[in-house]
Amino acid sequence: MSQNPSGQPLIALEGVYRTFRQGRERVPVLQDINLAVGENEIVCLVGESGCGKTTTGRIMVDLLEPSAGTVLYKGRPLAALRGKDKVEQRRALQIIHQDPFASLNPSHTVGQILSFPLKRHRMAQGRGGVRRRIWELLTLVDLTPPGDLVNKYPHQLSGGQRQRVSIARALTVEPKLIVADEAVSMVDVSIRVSLLKMLHGLRDQLGVAIVFITHDLALAKYFAWEGRIAVMYLGRIVEIGPTPDVIANPAHPYTRALISAIPEADPEVTRNKQRMILRSEDIPRLTDIPPGCAFHPRCPFFVPGLCDARVPPLERAGGFAQSVACLPLTEGLGLREHVSVEEPVVGP
Amino acid sequence: MSTSKQALFTPARVTAEGPPTSSPARVVLSVQDVSISYLAHRGRVRAVSQVSFDLRQGESLALIGESGCGKSTLNLGIIRLLPKTGRVDQGKILYTARDGSIVDVLALSDREMRAFRWGECAMIFQAALNSLNPVIRVRDMVYDTAEAHGRHDRARIRNRMLDLFRKVRLDAERVFNAYPHELSGGMRQRVLLALGVLLNPQVVILDEPTTAVDILTQRTILEVLKDLREAMGFSIIFISHDLSIAAEMADTVATMYAGEIVEIGPVNELFYRPRHAYTLGLLQAVPKLSAGAQDLSSIPGSPPDLIEPPSGCKFHPRCPFATERCRHEPPPLIEDAPGHRVACFESERVLAASGPARQSTHRLD
Repeated sequence: MSQNPSGQPLIALEGVYRTFRQGRERVPVLQDINLAVGENEIVCLVGESGCGKTTTGRIMVDLLEPSAGTVLYKGRPLAALRGKDKVEQRRALQIIHQDPFASLNPSHTVGQILSFPLKRHRMAQGRGGVRRRIWELLTLVDLTPPGDLVNKYPHQLSGGQRQRVSIARALTVEPKLIVADEAVSMVDVSIRVSLLKMLHGLRDQLGVAIVFITHDLALAKYFAWEGRIAVMYLGRIVEIGPTPDVIANPAHPYTRALISAIPEADPEVTRNKQRMILRSEDIPRLTDIPPGCAFHPRCPFFVPGLCDARVPPLERAGGFAQSVACLPLTEGLGLREHVSVEEPVVGP
Repeated sequence: MSTSKQALFTPARVTAEGPPTSSPARVVLSVQDVSISYLAHRGRVRAVSQVSFDLRQGESLALIGESGCGKSTLNLGIIRLLPKTGRVDQGKILYTARDGSIVDVLALSDREMRAFRWGECAMIFQAALNSLNPVIRVRDMVYDTAEAHGRHDRARIRNRMLDLFRKVRLDAERVFNAYPHELSGGMRQRVLLALGVLLNPQVVILDEPTTAVDILTQRTILEVLKDLREAMGFSIIFISHDLSIAAEMADTVATMYAGEIVEIGPVNELFYRPRHAYTLGLLQAVPKLSAGAQDLSSIPGSPPDLIEPPSGCKFHPRCPFATERCRHEPPPLIEDAPGHRVACFESERVLAASGPARQSTHRLD
């Protein structure tokens, strides 16, 4: 795209908010999300259910509009794109869904599934061209030999194969960014890794950026080792930075809690791990998000009068390579366990 | 409490032995050569083949393996809740009651079986929401359960339940009077745990106890389970596709593949000295948070068709260690190291390969 000012990230969310209506209530699902993804970058969004990671992914690929804030594609607001530019942006941003059983049309063969977008977007010329491209795509996602698969229906494929077809379909339009939303969580453990390696290979070969959404921090660590991890909690990014730093030297108390809570596939390690004890086990409802830092009612490092008074900005803190939304850290107070576990939660 | 239970659970004994003087701990459940099949359109599917293991008092056994390996079927077979199309084709499931007498679970009458379930052997299912009746309060479920097992003293049941709810870190009074929809997923799972052990069973079967719950909730459930187990001393069989949970919670781990136990042994043996290529494959496919960059690998291929399983070792088409012999001859499950049984002709080579692979710290590709 010639209009693209150099140095602009591929996609950037700036001050993005999103609310959903639930009955008469308005549920704030995302609040003040700022996240830029560069070309060929890998970013993982991690967090527990309801933290907004899927909504963020959907907004990134223009499947949802933000309630407030802007999404910039190569520096230009998505909402302002028209005509050819809009088509280009639509092609550039693709998503792979979690459930490969639901995301493929059961009455179409693999060949048909892949040929529709190729024809619609004129990505290949003529019948022979389409066929050649389908062959290439299937080879790219390791579905070989392609001849065995083009005439099969989704129900004849395993979960892993179906997910590969989903990925091939996303690739038909030669995207710049793929959002993979829990793309391997429904696939058996033994074949997950091959899917992840394949996605990684696509990034190396085709230069696509990948936003990988997962609740599994160990998987995120493995996949995004050379990229960044963003940890989300109740609709906000609470920590973001290079993966090795976030995992080995987590800053935000929530990230620390997650890492300490995860069981590991190593008996000695997992049994001797230091566990962080939270002040409360209840996750607040999105309709009733605590004031200040949303994590403060559960946080063992809670500083009364500070954490419950101001929403912490996401910024660099001393001693960390990553940005963190935690006032005691960013204001240089450091984390100390001020409150014992038994003490009741101090109200706002 | 135990007197009324004994009154209800008095099946004919297979043998009448006194309480064994045994060390280390007595065997509570002995599964011997059990095979289970389902009737499908194309024929009978052998979902579990000739599985044998002993579960000792207080022991925690994890069954690991991919979907379709037979781990859930095996447990449904143990408490005889298989769907109509499923049946136990052969084998014995011997249960040692608290008085030391041994009964064959497969020979129990329906009435005895109802007393056995929950009272002696409780199963806690995966989907916490579906296991609780949405239109009745938790307390009514508690009373119904207790009364079905001959406990009519409501005050006593209530006290015991509240005590258990506190043990699983629930706001006992509130939860006791709540409807299931008023509770979060993690709370429901803890309600089920507490309800499962209400009648003080000797064996608790947990089917994917923490699948589909969040990390911090999972941590609470695991801790609560450890507390309960310590307080009550029951044995656990748990089914999980998540190796990390097995690593943390199990004393003994059994790997299942295509309906067979292919390896069983103490948790450290299986994780640090795996001798079956499938166990090794699973371990090499799981990322670890504590390691640096890791070199992981998938197991090639996919699980076999159980109607026409491969000849010889069922894992051979996917196995990097397979030899000609593996293609023809099914390997027996034999003791390779103390307490560590494995069904693999090439276990020595697998063991040798497992050492360096576990330490590897390379990046993707």
